[in-house]
Amino acid sequence: MVSGMMKPYIWLETSDGSIQQVEQEIAMYCPLICKEIIQKGMGSSKNCAICLPQRVSPATLSLILDYCRFHQVPGRSNKERKSYDEKFVRMDTKRLCELTSAADSLQLKPLVDLTSRALARIIEGKSPEEIREIFHLPDDLTEEVNGQNIRHPDSEADIIAETSISHTENVFPHKEFDDGDIDDGIDPALKEKIDRYKSKPYVFGNHFEHREVEDFARRLNSDWPERMQELLSSGQERKTRLFSPNGNSFLRRNACMFFHCL
Amino acid sequence: MRRVIRMVDVMGPDLISDLPQSIIESILVKLPITDAVRTSILSSKWRYKWASITQLVFDDKCVPFSNDREVVERSVVKFITRALFLHQGPIHKFQISNSMLQSYPEIDQWILFLSRNDIKELVMEIGEGEFFRIPSSLFNCRKLTRLELSRCELDPPHSFKGFVCLRSLNLHQVLISPDAVESLISRCPLLESLSLSYFDNLALTISAPNLKYLYLEGEFKDICLEDTPLLVEISIAMYMTDDIAEHFEQSSNCNFLKFLGGVPNLEKLVGLIYFTKVTLCSHVFIVLDHPQKVVYEIMYDQLYFIHFCTFLKYLSIGIDSVHLPIMYNNLETIELHQVNFEDTKEILVILRMITSSPNLKELHISGSSNIPIAADAPDLDFWEKGCLSDSALNKLKTVKLSEMGGWPHELEFIKYLLCRSPVLETLSIIPCVFDMGNNLKMLIELVKCRRASSRGEVIFIHE
Repeated sequence: MVSGMMKPYIWLETSDGSIQQVEQEIAMYCPLICKEIIQKGMGSSKNCAICLPQRVSPATLSLILDYCRFHQVPGRSNKERKSYDEKFVRMDTKRLCELTSAADSLQLKPLVDLTSRALARIIEGKSPEEIREIFHLPDDLTEEVNGQNIRHPDSEADIIAETSISHTENVFPHKEFDDGDIDDGIDPALKEKIDRYKSKPYVFGNHFEHREVEDFARRLNSDWPERMQELLSSGQERKTRLFSPNGNSFLRRNACMFFHCL
Repeated sequence: MRRVIRMVDVMGPDLISDLPQSIIESILVKLPITDAVRTSILSSKWRYKWASITQLVFDDKCVPFSNDREVVERSVVKFITRALFLHQGPIHKFQISNSMLQSYPEIDQWILFLSRNDIKELVMEIGEGEFFRIPSSLFNCRKLTRLELSRCELDPPHSFKGFVCLRSLNLHQVLISPDAVESLISRCPLLESLSLSYFDNLALTISAPNLKYLYLEGEFKDICLEDTPLLVEISIAMYMTDDIAEHFEQSSNCNFLKFLGGVPNLEKLVGLIYFTKVTLCSHVFIVLDHPQKVVYEIMYDQLYFIHFCTFLKYLSIGIDSVHLPIMYNNLETIELHQVNFEDTKEILVILRMITSSPNLKELHISGSSNIPIAADAPDLDFWEKGCLSDSALNKLKTVKLSEMGGWPHELEFIKYLLCRSPVLETLSIIPCVFDMGNNLKMLIELVKCRRASSRGEVIFIHE
């Protein structure tokens, strides 16, 4: 319980020793800061400024506070938040790593998830050399022996990794591509009709009764030539013609048809 | 031996390797498993970082594609076995969603391994073909919170006391005896979400005091919600064979009460259509003898049967003989499809539901696109009778009616809604595509309707 008045501002001290004033509402979005205020009563003045973990530099704090400032507003739609997040993580890798680290130390899980997803996207699909270059990783698994580079003693992990590398080359296109861009060879007009279907509330079962199928097939064969004639001779009017109450009495008696994509 | 100094070393400090394992895990679990495993050759620090992640997900992309299913299957099995062997530490989530993998002896060993490593979430969706029999070691997974199984055989031992931590159970096309399902459900006291699909002829009594979400799909004989007071969302796509449906007509039970009588906290009710897929031939339509029972729909050269003996029909049995005792004060969304407006009992189900839900905000009904057989003499007295209360639908804002053919009962229903919804904002009507003449008649009738809401818009969606 907070004793005393709720002040609008609190004081935070970053890793370099500098102290700054931040709106309380925004800072409270970070669980760690929240705990410091509520459980320990810190942050109410410059003298008892909340000491932030070592990994939080002034620059990353500023980014984190921007994030908090946006997200702590309750009325925003999911779409808005998602859009903001996507723009927010567009920064160089070094800053992204620092931000992840800082967010983690402040226990701000949504931001950790967001930044780790961005880092995962950077790593996905790249070769080891590319990844090492981006993150400045030392290639210390290879040693030179008598003028030749050899891999460190084999371990099972290397074997898996080796097999994985050649595998991923052949694999389907990555998630990086927008779903809409994948061309599976269907005519766009038909695809649009299929998409319309997909939005309908149907659930697809998978078993069928043989008896029904056979009956169906039998009936199909007997009416087929007649039906085919009608289908072929009409174009757009096909839909209305076959369903007109004044039409073919056989249809009227039994009609249940949908023409949604022909 | 001379250590080769790569240019990379002089480019700057390592950005990532010294971050806490929790962050590394957070990144690695967002990668496909192959990319995660590949990180082991990045540097010496990264050698075994992947090996302690707590989530392992193996999907169709984890091994190279090949048309030979057995080759792929062998690769998948080898990969998973090696990954598990090298793994260290607890595994909280293990998922296999691979259509090439069928029943394989190694699967037993994997589940045994997982049961010894604190598995919490287990998802097994393996390929069509031979059903895999789940080993008994599954029932030793005491910490299981989520179980999702597809295409397998499940046979809990008699001594099985249940999964005490299980919150989510999803069984899809699983061979299990009805008694075993019922007892499994009742022995998982924390169960919140239950999904059962593709069962054949299932008669089920559900007793789950913490259940909040229920999804049922498939052929059912009977469903009774015996003890589900906390249920918040129900979504059903069911069908019944003719003989079962007829048997129900004879009985004096009220299905509505049996099913919805004990769910006062319900917030959302959805009754979907159940499709069966049959690949016959393309560009074919057929008519049938039982328009009330089955409808065929062509979609992209596959033929689909829509089963009419639907959830709504099931609920309608016995409805006129009882008075509904309970109010659904939290029910805000009702979605019911393939409503047969010729059957006044089905209409009665909807009306009873609507009038028992004082906070209903959204109603979505789709008709059955049937041309009514008895188009000349609909029982319009039904709407005059005093069995319909005069209560207003005080919170109803959005109504969406699709597959409307403009038949008399449908129009009466629309009039009913318009007269009683003082805060209605939109009523959209999507006609079935087939008859322009009919649509015009419908529009003419709609224009005449009296409206309780001054802000209400009637939107006729014309393709």
